[in-house]
Amino acid sequence: MTLKLNQSEFEIIRDKEKCISCQVCVRQCSNDVHEYDETEGVILSDSSKCVGCHRCETLCPTGSIKIKKRESEFKSNANWTPEHLKNIYKQAETGGVILTGMGCDKPYPVYWDHILFNASQVTNPSIDPLREPMEIKTFIGRKPDILEIKPVKEAGSDIIKYKNNLEPQLEINIPVLFSAMSYGSISLNAVKSLARAASEFGTFYNTGEGGLHKDLMIYADNTIVQVASGRFGVDKNYLNNGAAVEIKIGQGAKPGIGGHLPGEKVNYDVSTTRMIPEGSDAISPAPHHDIYSIEDLSQLIYALKEATEYKKPVGVKVSAVHNIAPIASGIVRAGADFISIDGFRGGTGAAPQVIRDNVGIPIELALSSVDLRLREEGIRHKVSLIVAGSIRSSSDVIKAIALGADAVYIGTAALVALGCHLCQKCYTGKCNWGIATQDPYLTKRLNPEIGTRRLLNLLNAWSHEIKEMLGGAGINAIESLRGNREHLRGVGLNERELSILGIKHAGEAW
Amino acid sequence: MKKIFIKEEYCIACRLCEIYCQVEHSKSKKILKAFKNEKDILSRVLVEEVGYNSFAIQCRHCEDAPCVEACISGAMQKNKNTGIVTCDENKCVGCWMCIMACPYGVVKRDLSEKKIASKCDLCSDEEYPVCVRNCPNEALQFKDI
Amino acid sequence: MEDTIKKIKKTDEIADYLIIGNSAAGLSAVSAIRTIDKTGSILVLTNEQYKNYSKPLITYLLAGKIGLDNIYFKDDKFYEENNILLKSEINVKKINFKDKMVISDKGISFKYNKLLLANGGSPIIPKIRIVEADDFIENFKNKNINIKVKEEIITQEMLDSTNYKNISGIFTFTCLQDALQIQKYIIENKIKEAVILGGGLIGLKSAEALLEIGIKVNIIELSDRLLSATFDKYASSIIENEMKNNQSNIYTNNTINKILVKNNKLVGIELKNKEKINTKLLIIAVGVVPDLRILKESEMENEQIKYGRGIFTDEYMQTNIKDVYAAGDVVESFDFITGNKANIAIWPLAVRQGEIAGINMAGGNKIYSGGYFMNSIEILDIPSISIGLTNPADNNDGSIEIIKDFKPERKFYKKIVILEGKIIGLILVGNIDRAGIYGGLIKNEIDVKSMFQA
Repeated sequence: MTLKLNQSEFEIIRDKEKCISCQVCVRQCSNDVHEYDETEGVILSDSSKCVGCHRCETLCPTGSIKIKKRESEFKSNANWTPEHLKNIYKQAETGGVILTGMGCDKPYPVYWDHILFNASQVTNPSIDPLREPMEIKTFIGRKPDILEIKPVKEAGSDIIKYKNNLEPQLEINIPVLFSAMSYGSISLNAVKSLARAASEFGTFYNTGEGGLHKDLMIYADNTIVQVASGRFGVDKNYLNNGAAVEIKIGQGAKPGIGGHLPGEKVNYDVSTTRMIPEGSDAISPAPHHDIYSIEDLSQLIYALKEATEYKKPVGVKVSAVHNIAPIASGIVRAGADFISIDGFRGGTGAAPQVIRDNVGIPIELALSSVDLRLREEGIRHKVSLIVAGSIRSSSDVIKAIALGADAVYIGTAALVALGCHLCQKCYTGKCNWGIATQDPYLTKRLNPEIGTRRLLNLLNAWSHEIKEMLGGAGINAIESLRGNREHLRGVGLNERELSILGIKHAGEAW
Repeated sequence: MKKIFIKEEYCIACRLCEIYCQVEHSKSKKILKAFKNEKDILSRVLVEEVGYNSFAIQCRHCEDAPCVEACISGAMQKNKNTGIVTCDENKCVGCWMCIMACPYGVVKRDLSEKKIASKCDLCSDEEYPVCVRNCPNEALQFKDI
Repeated sequence: MEDTIKKIKKTDEIADYLIIGNSAAGLSAVSAIRTIDKTGSILVLTNEQYKNYSKPLITYLLAGKIGLDNIYFKDDKFYEENNILLKSEINVKKINFKDKMVISDKGISFKYNKLLLANGGSPIIPKIRIVEADDFIENFKNKNINIKVKEEIITQEMLDSTNYKNISGIFTFTCLQDALQIQKYIIENKIKEAVILGGGLIGLKSAEALLEIGIKVNIIELSDRLLSATFDKYASSIIENEMKNNQSNIYTNNTINKILVKNNKLVGIELKNKEKINTKLLIIAVGVVPDLRILKESEMENEQIKYGRGIFTDEYMQTNIKDVYAAGDVVESFDFITGNKANIAIWPLAVRQGEIAGINMAGGNKIYSGGYFMNSIEILDIPSISIGLTNPADNNDGSIEIIKDFKPERKFYKKIVILEGKIIGLILVGNIDRAGIYGGLIKNEIDVKSMFQA
């Protein structure tokens, strides 16, 4: 047996006084950490298998389990951190790329946490959202260059109508949508939770590149269907079972990298949904092999518009990379109705750790530079910006809007609402919370009724908070905040960062 | 009447229903005391498991309850008002006719003291049966029929 | 409302519902009638002196597990609440179907609109020679000493249903009076050992009770094993071994040839194989048959009611005579498994048939879809349940599949009999948990092929 240099990451502390040997932990752990010893009548735990998902701790009826970080420490070395050592040990053992799940967890600056929001005092009144109307509804889609109106006689009375035809729009009751997570990468129960919550609240979920399961077709009015490099599950029926189409070029967690759903996860349901043979690997190529230029992209956008009879907005999702501003400009010119920009902290079901942690740029900077660039070019109104990549709270939402976003996508936050504990082991398919798995024993742990309720609660909580913050700043509509950087101030940021963000430092008045 | 509905597609086989049922029917009604100091407390709810399919089942409180029909002592009775089928432990003689009759297999032999039949009483003194209240995935629901 | 209820107060009034029998079927019918007809008058006749008691509970009474106060399966208020007139100790002699009249042995007549025969069964008394053992050996304590009997000095007579009560120490075990008399007899005569004739259900039930109070039993069984009607040799062997380990003797393929009496008191028995057993207590538990004595009397002068081993009924529990219903152990009805007519004398079916009869008598509509045998018996802490057809007679064409799991060391046995994919019989010994599930599979004729394939 080869020496394993990596020690376990977690330690399971079991309070013997409290443990009643009920074996709930044994039955709940898909990593076989806990085992009931019949001769002794006690439960033994193998910490080395623990991924730190806290399922056992959460379900233990007596609170006897505590998952702790194992405190074994390496000799302090600011350069050779434990993480580097562990990665090398692992790679020296396996010879492979280190896989991981969820978003980048490295301590890069989080700009949201260096931006503060404004409030009204004396010179402009704040608004109490409980007493006065407050609009957080907005629309995703291309807006007209000029809005012309005309009076029309209808049933004997004059009403006002738009003169020009409006491009198709998505109406959202909160500037928050659920980001693309495919059925395959997450369970059908997880997708159902997202779809139901979106439909009940009046927002959208996104199929990702996994196709559209038949059970989800009833949520068509709240579905954004994705067309990705693998083109899985894409046909006319698929496109028409969504309210909008999103072309996926890149993903924040793994810009430039394709996707790979191993054949063992391609069960009957996944295979029919993705329209590929059962058991075959589902490989999404890194690029779209028919898109090598903005012109190629334009062709696909218009092909999709043709297929959907110009009735649905067509957007493009890209990772936030160094050239994001000119890329976004090109996408607008290619005819996209919305652009989804995914920051480098965006999550994933599986990605090489080296890519996830080292490629891309923060969404705050990408968003600001895109918004400013499109404004400079006078084409900002032609497109809606949806930003993603670690929106963690309602304050992140409001700061994103003030930095120029029309709306945000939440992925990780939604999964956390469903129970995700960010153990980052999505790629193993053994998610104990029934989210990132297709194992029928595990997927049933996520009851979509509960999932829907929890997501609705989250959206409700965030809308209350957004309204409170808007009201405090004396604003009564979310659309009035979009790109309104005067409501933001930076703290602890240098001149360069402030200038890219287009905001003043805290302490600077208008 | 209100009954417990089983949603087997969401039963995760954690068996917390059984554990809380045992606690509820213990003397102390405290989980640590019940499990550490009291012996052989029976759960009146049973989790059946085959492969990854599982469901928790307890007395269905049938309309035409076969256990009541089979009971030779008059211990097993269906309350006309509440619809709850209960076993009067004083009258029960442990003849197991109810076990023979119950098509759901949810009556158990309680041998801890005097032999008696043990079955779900819908936790009549609680607002919700404890199995329903403690199911982490709402695979059991208590609602009107 | 109260004052509109017709309550029969005098027996010369016409009862809307007359029920002969005060046990499972009869009282179940009463409850069922009252769900539909709240006001019709109900008269219940019983030949017993006790109110309502559960016959199966006499085992537990004799075993000392319950007292007389717990033997009643309906509470005291039952008769009052349901407005029933109960007449005890009425021995119905015959029925005049034409005039709708029931006549007791004392000549009292009761008129009815609808009649339910729920008078149960009566124990079989086999014909055995009774022998006077006049110089019976004094050394009674040692059981191994053969009784020297001046044989056949006086052959008094043959035992039968009328004379067995004249011999002190011979009992049947089917009603409360039996149990109380046995109980009294045991105490008065300090009984330590008993003989039970019959290793069937009642035999074992009485054995269960006697063993519980520390009385050694000798069971005499005509066939090759105990509970031969429902058990196979594997199931029986577990019970037999356990009984033998508890100092009991089981004599299979045997029967009692002679009953030895002295001064009208039982002193012992002689078996078919000439072996003799000293005993002061003999329980006759050969079996029970539907009690058709009333009908046989009635036949002489009336319309004839149709019966075989028991009274025939249709699916409404009505006999061939209009307004005359029958339910419980006295009935020969439909066996769900075999499809034949059968007398299945078990408590749950008595309750069900009573209920169905009651509903139909009161103008409702409910159909009896047939029943099947099942029983639960626990001997020396070994529980067992048998359901349905457990010993299929022939399996020449191989259509019957039998699954067996025999673990004698754990006192465990399980046998499932499957015909064309459907369970028709079950034996469980040792662990009876969830036995009813099999019953459900039988009742609903569920195809179990896939369940039992490896």
